[in-house]
Parts: sequence; structure tokens; C-alpha cells
Amino acid sequence: MNKSVSYKVCTNCVMDTSDPGIKFDENGICDHCHDFEEIVRPNWHTDERGKKELGAIINKIKAEGQGKDYDCILGISGGVDSSYMLHLAINEFGLRPLVFHVDGGWNSELAVHNINVLVDKLKVDLFTEVINWEEMRDFQLAFFKSGVPHIDIPQDHAFIATLYNFADKYKIKYILNGGNISTECVQYPLMYYYYGTDMLQINDIRKRFCTNKMETYPFSSIYRHKIYLSYIRGVKVVKPLNYIPYKKEEAMQTLEKEYGWKPYPQKHFESRFTRFFEGYWLPERFGFDPRRVQYSSLILTGQMTRDEALEKLTKPAYDPETINDEVNYIATKLGITTEELQQYFNMPKKYYWDYKNQQNMFRIGARVLNLIGEEKVRKRNQ
Amino acid sequence: MLYPRIIPCLLVHNRGLVKTVKFKSPKYVGDPINAVKIFNEKEVDELIVLDIDASINKSEPDYKLIENLAAECRMPLCYGGGIKTVEQAVRIFSLGVEKIAISSLIVENLSIVKEIAKMVGTQSIVVVLDAKKSIKGDKYEVYIHNGSVATGIDPVCLVGELENQGIGEIVINSIDNDGTMNGYDMDLIEKVRNAISIPLTVLGGAGTLDDIGQLIRKYGIIGAAAGSLFVFKGKFRAVLINYPTQSEKEALMDKYFKNSLSTMEN
Amino acid sequence: MITIVDYGLGNIKAFVNVYKRLNIPIRIARESIDLKNATHIILPGVGAFDYAMAKLNASGMREELEKQVIINKIPILGVCVGMQILGKSSEEGNSVGLGWIDGEVKRLDTKLIPYKTKLPHMGWNTVSISKGSELFYNIINNSRFYFLHSYYFYCRNNEDIVNTTKYGIDFASAILHENIYGVQFHPEKSHSNGIGLLQNFARL
Repeated sequence: MNKSVSYKVCTNCVMDTSDPGIKFDENGICDHCHDFEEIVRPNWHTDERGKKELGAIINKIKAEGQGKDYDCILGISGGVDSSYMLHLAINEFGLRPLVFHVDGGWNSELAVHNINVLVDKLKVDLFTEVINWEEMRDFQLAFFKSGVPHIDIPQDHAFIATLYNFADKYKIKYILNGGNISTECVQYPLMYYYYGTDMLQINDIRKRFCTNKMETYPFSSIYRHKIYLSYIRGVKVVKPLNYIPYKKEEAMQTLEKEYGWKPYPQKHFESRFTRFFEGYWLPERFGFDPRRVQYSSLILTGQMTRDEALEKLTKPAYDPETINDEVNYIATKLGITTEELQQYFNMPKKYYWDYKNQQNMFRIGARVLNLIGEEKVRKRNQ
Repeated sequence: MLYPRIIPCLLVHNRGLVKTVKFKSPKYVGDPINAVKIFNEKEVDELIVLDIDASINKSEPDYKLIENLAAECRMPLCYGGGIKTVEQAVRIFSLGVEKIAISSLIVENLSIVKEIAKMVGTQSIVVVLDAKKSIKGDKYEVYIHNGSVATGIDPVCLVGELENQGIGEIVINSIDNDGTMNGYDMDLIEKVRNAISIPLTVLGGAGTLDDIGQLIRKYGIIGAAAGSLFVFKGKFRAVLINYPTQSEKEALMDKYFKNSLSTMEN
Repeated sequence: MITIVDYGLGNIKAFVNVYKRLNIPIRIARESIDLKNATHIILPGVGAFDYAMAKLNASGMREELEKQVIINKIPILGVCVGMQILGKSSEEGNSVGLGWIDGEVKRLDTKLIPYKTKLPHMGWNTVSISKGSELFYNIINNSRFYFLHSYYFYCRNNEDIVNTTKYGIDFASAILHENIYGVQFHPEKSHSNGIGLLQNFARL
């Protein structure tokens, strides 16, 4: 980490020097903003053109899915993006998605409620993959012990692997992904949000810190899903929310009105662990507040003003009233004392490069995908 | 107006939650602590958690787990599984549990149950009876040790005897209907309900809220417990915790409970 | 500091858990000295009247409790049997109660209850405002709380009745005399309504 760099925050969005790779121009505007204006926005069509492109994709999905039980697959978490996408998939696109949910043992009541109301009203068949808790617990604990920031990889990886397992099993060619430029155009720094499919990293951390054999946990590899499934089996990822004028507030209102869907105080609060990770662990231990990324995306897409974002950022990312309870709960679930958790909090910081990793392969891969027009935003490297 | 209780029932096996069908083929359903936390946030009326291994393994109750579960409950929690001594019972109560469920001990040593009752009061002891139709189909038989040991005892006779002995509450669980989600065993329930006046809760077979509604319409105040109904969703039995919301409960009561009163007053 | 009397009855842990989540410090009183700096006192209870009185009398805390409540006028909340022993006597047994609120404990009359199970009164029932009190601040009228009892407190003075509940008859589900509160239901097991009530008690 470059300690000699003094603190600076972008004059356009709210990304700051807690992002180690950030660069500013002479007006103090950061490279995230530049990337968005120069690379993303010109290629982002949510008007008639977007509608047409999306329509063509939907027709393809339907054609390929004829005679099959499902024409596409969609993972729901109970959060706004996946919920709204499911709403559109059924009501507007007329698709027949296999809808699944991965239960990592940390579901909030909100998440469960939201999935329930959607599934009930839309009458879709739900699949859930319940990760063995003893395995997940040991896996998550291993990441705490390793000292790295990306302690949410056990949940992330389980989701990706399950997604591809289902796509493989049911011979589904199209994955509907709720990822969207509207609320996610700014990228998380790799240093804090490392790849969830780097098996070299995962296996190294497992070897050193896991005690459980992990016999049922769904493991996957980047080779398997980006290369085998994508290129050999022809599985494609579609992000429908990028082709329409997706506005988070409106989406939430629609969901509330139509389904009795309940909103979250912040992104990713469907999982109690992710809430802890983003609201407490990253900001307090590593000095990186994911809200900066989330708010910056909303600023760039005109859904939040910089002043609003700055105001929100003056308050901590966690709720001071409930944080003790939350920390206690995390410790209880992990089977450790709060003292032990505190030890992990205080231990020397480690990063992905302190363990075996295939980061180079990912970089090459991303460049290849970029060249062939697959990725709309440069993958953010250290 | 008092409402009947609607009670999720969770089974613990090897420290994880499972659901069975006719007491067999346990399917892994997830982490008990998070499940209980969610049920608490859904403000369920009461919760029953049963350790289905403890009696068979003759193991001590998992006190740490019990303590962690109780810490998440702002509603009465009933815990059962392998409770054999007064000391175990007292320790479980001290961890924040309201009621303990006793099953095999009733058959093996009723006097200990009475000793526990003396210390904590009969309202805190729930007897869970797992019953299966006899081969001939005309009577029922009580099984213990998670459905593995037949006792030869008729539950209808046993409950009457237990009422005389001062037991506070009975949970009658149908092994035949367990996990099938095709409805409660109304025949078993009718027989047991007629035999006793102490509080009765029924378990085994509920597949829809309507099943619970039918039960309530017939009996008014009764405990309606269910496992699969509150843990599975849809035809693929996707694991997803659910429970009626306040307004859904009110609607259920409006439809089934309020007119049960009028039929009963006649 | 909120102090809960541990005289061997009631779900102490449940109360402690509620206050812990509210970030309100709570002390457990096991002997007289623990009651000294109490600002609010909770008297829990489950089970029988006689047993409760026997345990309280044997606890060694009765005298100090009496001093705090009667002389120092510290707010006290009796819960379930803890409320019943605030009265003079009970039909359930032979013991003499604390007698701090004028009334006796009687068995619920089951004549008007049409169900097979008449007693105990068990489950979630509505609590209706009679006189009302700060204890129920922000709690909607006819909110539900968890009950588990067969006897009820019969108030000799109607002014002592705060809220009522119907089970066969209308009985006092919450009472108040000066600084002495009693609730027949279990606030520690009544979800958000109960948590709200316990928070209100702490703020008196």
C-alpha cells in the first residue's frame, strides 16, 4: 500500500484513495468516472436500441428453450436486482426460468420473505441449494484465519458453482444475471474483492486453515465455467437489466406494490454475513467502505447526488445500535468467542497475493474477453 | 380473544436441521440457529425443537446449541430429545427454554418426569408421543427412540393416564403422516382429543395453511404444529422458511376460527 | 440499574436476553445486596402461588425487596406468578401473598369457554386498554401477548386495573398501584410487543 499518498476523494463521485489503484485527472475526477463516460456509457443502450437488442436475445432464449422444462436460469437472493429481474422475466419477457436460491446459512428474514412473496405470486418452481452448515462454517472461519479481506468468498463461490451446476444439469443455455450498470458500474478494487473462483487461492487457504473435509460443498473452477461451460457447452450470461432504463428506486416501489416485497437498508443485506462483511469488517479492519463503490455507481447514473452520498458516508456503514448483537451473532454461528473474532480483527492484514493465486490467468482471461467485446468494463486490477 | 397456536417444529440431527418422511430419509435443511432466528423474526407463536438422535445415542443434550437457540427466541421455546434426568431438565430451563419435551422417558421412567414437574410446574413439561397406525389399522401404537422402538402402548389410553398423572401438555405426532404434507391424521387427533382435557398440540402431515384451518375449525383452541409446511416451498420441496404473516394469520382466524366458536357453542 | 430477582422461578435468561439486545444493562439479584442500587425491579415467575411465595421467603431477599418497593418506591414489575404474589392470597394455595396490591388470586371461571381444553389459558391473547399506562406506550390497543396461567388477579380497587383480557371472563391482564406494576402475560416471550413493554418499563 502506498502510504505516502495523501487522502483524496473524487470530485465527481465518492471513490477515494482507499481504492489503491485510483487515479485522478487534473480536475480531481477519478478514472472510474472516466471509464464510465468513455467506455461504458457509449455502449450502454437502454432506449429503443436496447429494447430491440433485448427482444432479440429473449427470442433466442425462447427458441433454444423450446421443448425443455426451462429456457433460462436465474438465481434469487431476495435483493432488488434479482427480484426485479424475475418480475420482468415472467411478466414482461414471458420466459420460463429455473429459479434457484443458495442458502449459505445466513439468510435474513427479509431475504426469505421476499423470495417467498415473489415465488408465490409468480408461481415459479423454486430450487434451493442448502450448503452444509458445518462445512460453510469451517470454510468461512478459514478465511478469517487467513487474514485476507475477501471473507465472503465461501458464499460467493457457492452461488457461482451452484448456478453452473444447475445450468449443466438441466442443459440450460442462458443464465439471467441481475448484474447491472445502473447500480454497479463502478468496480470494486480487486485487493478487497478478490475473484471467487480462483481455486488456487481457495485451495491454499483451505489447506492451511480448514479442518473440515468439505465433502458436499459445491466447488467450481474458472476453467469449468468460463471455458468449458461457456465455450464448449455454449452457455451464455445475459444481463437484462442493462437493456432497460433500470432505476433502483422505481424497481423497489414496483416490487413493494406488486408483491409486498420489503426493501433493505443497504445493498447485499439479504445475507447477515455479507452485511457484516461490507458494513463492518471491510470498513473497520481494512479501511475500505463498499458504500463508496455503490453510491458512486448511483451518482454516475443519476440516481443519487454526490452531496447525498457524502452525507450518508458521514455515518458508519454498520448500525451502532445493533452492531454488538451482530458481532455476537457472527461469533456464535462460527462457534467462536467474540474475543477470538476480535483477534482475527486485530491480526496483521493479508491480501490475495500472500497466498497462492491465479490472478495472472484472470488478467489474461479478462483481456481476452475484453478484446472479443464480452466485458463492458475493464476488470479492475491492482 | 385467544387464538390457537401455530407452531413450527424443527428436528435436529447431527447438529443440523433435517426433515423426514414417516420418520425416515432425513433431508438436510440447514443451520438450526439461523432457522430459529428467522422464525423469531417472523414472530411465530411458539417453536418446538427436537433432537432426534439424543435418545438413541443416549447422549447429553447439546447445551451450547440449546443456549444459542434460546437466545434467539422471543417466544416460548420447547426443547426435547434425550432428556432423562432432573438435572438435565433443570439445566435446560436455566438456559432460557420455556418447556421441555419428554418422549421415551414417559415410557421408561415416569417417576422422573413427575419429579421434574414438582420442581418446575406441570405447565413446563410437554409430552411428545409419536404414534403409528397398527398393522391391522384399527388402533394406534406409541413408538419411542425416533420411531425405532414399538412400545405396544395405545396412545389414546396413555394420554388419559398422563393427564391423571399431572402432565401439562400433549403433542401427538403421526409417524404415518410425517413429511407427507397430505393433511393431519384427523382420526388419531379425534381419538386423542376426546380422551383428554389438557392442552393438545398436533403434528404430522400438514401440507397447507388450509389443513391448519380445518383443524382449527373443528377444535377451536388447539396447537397446530408443522415441520415440512414451514420449511419447504413448492413441488421440488425447495428449502425456504415460511410462516403466515400477521395479516395472513388474521385472515386464517377469520375464516376458520371465528366460526368454529359458533359451532362449538351449540 | 434494572434488577431481576432470581428466587428460583421464571425465565431469567429470557429477560436478560431482551435487555441485552436493547443495550440496557441488567443485573440479576440472587441476594439482598444485589437489590441495593436497583432503579427498576422485575419479579418473574412461573408455576404455583404457594411455591413462589415459599421460594421468595426462603431467598433472603424479601426484606430488602419490601424496603425498595414500599419505602423507596422503586418501580417493580411482577410477571405472571410474580404478579399474582403481589396480592393477598390465592385460591390456588394457602400461602399469604405480598399484599402490595389489594386483591386476591382466583381460578379462571371456565363456564363460558367452549373448548375441550379450558385451562390453562395458554397462547396469544389480546390486551385491551382499560385505564392504560406508560408501560404500554407505543403499544397498540388489543395487541397480543403470550399467556400461560390458570389463575388471575382479582383487583379490589378498579383503579388498579390497567388493561384487561378476555378468557371466559374479562380479567385484569395488567395492574398498577403507585409504583407496583403487574402483568399476567409474559413480556419476555411476546415478541415486539413484549420487548416494547420491557423497554418502556426500563424508561419509567
